[in-house]
This record gives sequence, C-alpha cells and structure tokens, in this order.
Amino acid sequence: MRGKAYRGLRDSQLVELVAQKDAGALEALYDRYGRAAYSLARRILTEETLAQDVVQEVFLSLWRDARRFDAGRGTVATYLLSMTHHRAVDVVRREENLRRWRTSEEGLELEPDPKARVEDEVEASERRAEVRAALGELPAAQREALLLAYFGGYTQREVAALVGVPLGTVKTRMAAGMRKLKAALQDAGTEELPWTRQ
Amino acid sequence: MDTPMSHSEYEELAAGYVLGALEPDDEHVFQQHLGGCAVCEANVRELEAVVGELAYAVPPVDPPDTLWAGIRREIRPEAARRGALPQAAPGPGGRGPRLMQGLVAAAAILLVVVLSLWNLNLRDENAVYRDRVAALERATQLANDPNASLINLDEQAGPGAAQATVIASSLKDRGVLLVENLPPLQRNRVYELWGVPEGDFGRAEKALVFVPLRPGIQTLEFKVPIQPGTVFAVTDEPGPDGSPKPTTKPLLTGRPATA
Repeated sequence: MRGKAYRGLRDSQLVELVAQKDAGALEALYDRYGRAAYSLARRILTEETLAQDVVQEVFLSLWRDARRFDAGRGTVATYLLSMTHHRAVDVVRREENLRRWRTSEEGLELEPDPKARVEDEVEASERRAEVRAALGELPAAQREALLLAYFGGYTQREVAALVGVPLGTVKTRMAAGMRKLKAALQDAGTEELPWTRQ
Repeated sequence: MDTPMSHSEYEELAAGYVLGALEPDDEHVFQQHLGGCAVCEANVRELEAVVGELAYAVPPVDPPDTLWAGIRREIRPEAARRGALPQAAPGPGGRGPRLMQGLVAAAAILLVVVLSLWNLNLRDENAVYRDRVAALERATQLANDPNASLINLDEQAGPGAAQATVIASSLKDRGVLLVENLPPLQRNRVYELWGVPEGDFGRAEKALVFVPLRPGIQTLEFKVPIQPGTVFAVTDEPGPDGSPKPTTKPLLTGRPATA
C-alpha cells in the first residue's frame, strides 16, 4: 500500500487519507515535508532533541485532527511549516538560553549551502535560492527585523529593544519587508505561486 | 485601546501577526479585527504563504531516524486498527529497516544497564519516569549494533553533579550522549562533545554542540569517527557553533573499557 501508491497523490489528497487514519499517507507527507520542517525547527531551536519533539508533535497533530487543515486557507506545506514555526517559537520563548546569542542576522546565513543533497538540488534548492535571493534584496533593516522575528522568535517589542529603534519603526519595517518579500516571490514563481500551489 | 485604529494600522499589524511577533495586546486587537475584515483576512492568507516559504531559506538538515520512528510508534495503535501501518522504510533522513526483535531484546538489556547507571528509582513520579524511559528508548536505537559500547564520562571539574554516558557504535561511527546536571553556561557559550582518538586532544574531532536544557536527562545523537580507543570529552566552548578544536579543559571525559 505504501510508497508508490501514495507518490502520485496530491498533498490535499494525502491529508484526506490521513483523516481516515491512513498511516502510509502520513508517512508520504513526512517524506515530502519532514526534512523541511526539521531543518526549520533545528534552525530556530538549535538543539536536536527539542527540534525532534516539535516536528513529531506537528505530524501527530495532523494525524489526530487532519480535518483542521483547510485547503481554502493555503497549502499543506504552508500549514505544516507554519505549525512547525509556531511551536518552535513557543519553545524558544520558554528556553531563553536557546536564542540569547541570536541578536543579529546570525539566524540565517545567506551564502550558498555547500551541503545540498543531490535530490534536494531540484525543486527545494531552487526554492531556497529564490527565497534567499528575495531576502537578500530587502533593505538590511527590514531583513534584520524579519529574521529576528522568524528565526529568533523575538516579538516586535523585543526586536525594537535589540535593534534600538521605536516599536513603531519595527512594525513598519516588518510590514514593508513582508510586502517586498511577497512581491519578489510572486515574481520568482511565475507559474506556481506558493499561495496557489496544492 | 482608547483611539480606534485606522485600517492602515491594522494592515501594518498583519506582518507581525503571521510572523507570530505581535505583543499580546496587539494580537488581541488584530484578531478581533480579522474576524470582520475580508481585506485583512485575504492579506493574512497571502502573507502566511510567504512565511511558509521562509522555511525553505534554511539549509536542509536530514532528520534523524528516531524522528519518524517516534511518530510511527505514536500512531501505531490507531493505524493497526485500520490495518494500514507503514513499514519502516528509507525516507528523507535515510531511514533504514529495523531488526525489531533484536532491538527489543537489546533494548531490554540496555535498559537494565543504563537504568542502573542513572540510579533510576522506578517509584519516581510518573512524569519523571516517562521522560527517562523516553530518553532511554532513543539510546536503544543503537542496540542493534553489536559493536556498541557504553562509556561513562567522569566529571573532571565542577560541583560533581553532572552525569554523562556515551553509547557509541564504532561500526556506524555514531552514538548517543545521555547527560544531565551540567552546570549552566555563561552567555554565548555552548557545550561540545569530542571524539578524541586514543586520548590525543590534538586530534579531537567535533561530535556535537549542545546547550543544557530541561531538568532530567538530555539524549543527543552524534556522528564522529569512533575507534576502539576513542575517548569522549565534553568542553565549554564559544557559541553558537562551538570550536574546531577544544579550547578549554574538559569538564567530563570517558574512556572505553578496552582502551
């Protein structure tokens, strides 16, 4: 039943099967997004065991209540990765020592990744290049605000304190940064936009 | 909020909202607005997709085998009832087949050994017991390997409360570190585990960088070349990535029994 039988299914179809307690479908989704989710959790949490806990809980959450996924709100990838991000940030805010050195753009090195796997070098690698390029084009202050929030788990008030600017400035920088990021990614993904991908 | 916010102010909050970075009061205000504003609702959906893409900016890291194994263990009862339990087959992290019978048998043996090492009182509170057993389950992933050895690390300095054990497989050049009660680190410092060929620190190789977290045992997997005489040591190094070679005196060291 598993493996090839699931390979041709779309993400949303797999989620339907997961809702019927089809473990093979969950494994197929894990094969597609487990690595991205784990990579994100590792980046935010640093510590391997905590990252594992977060990703495990994300996939178990999907298993327990797949009906919560609403295809009208976005893709399965966005759903899983957003959940991973939220849970990882919750943990990092509890475990202050995980992020105390992340006071700048250390949260994300934008140089090319030398360790990309061969099978990763097709879609995921292109996607990564696009996102990194889009981030690289942002003004430094906007990029810094976004990265501190996203990878450091800092709130806007904390970012303001770290950077030494008023809270309102941070809000404006984040809003402007996200707008530019959205436009840049729309330009990069001409045929398959992230928000239309299923 | 005494003064009503303008719509442009709400729009500005959308970015912080999807990033999970709003202060609680702003989040409350925005959520209330979101329920009745189709424009902001649509904007949030689009920005959520952008945030989802940010995850792909991270360099990929293969998840350890234990991650899917843990998920599978949790879903097993329900999946078995439906008759659709997946096999443990290779996946994104190179998951390989498991010799379940051998694992269970070896796990039982290892469990006894490690439990005695940690002086686990089985009458501990349930939560503590569960945490420790979960940690030990991860350690038993190596139990299929007949070359796995168990090495106690002794504290070289400090108050004497730290305990650490390495379960190392020379066949796979990987292992698990079980550690608890390490002293808190100074700001911007991390602990680093080293594989030290024959105790020669000039040839020490980085195995793992970590920070002490929750109370109780931390279980950490690592990969490093392991030979019969490899000594393991933990040092305090600059964060976040540690050092290429040890720069401080080891807090903990352990030698294999045969070295």
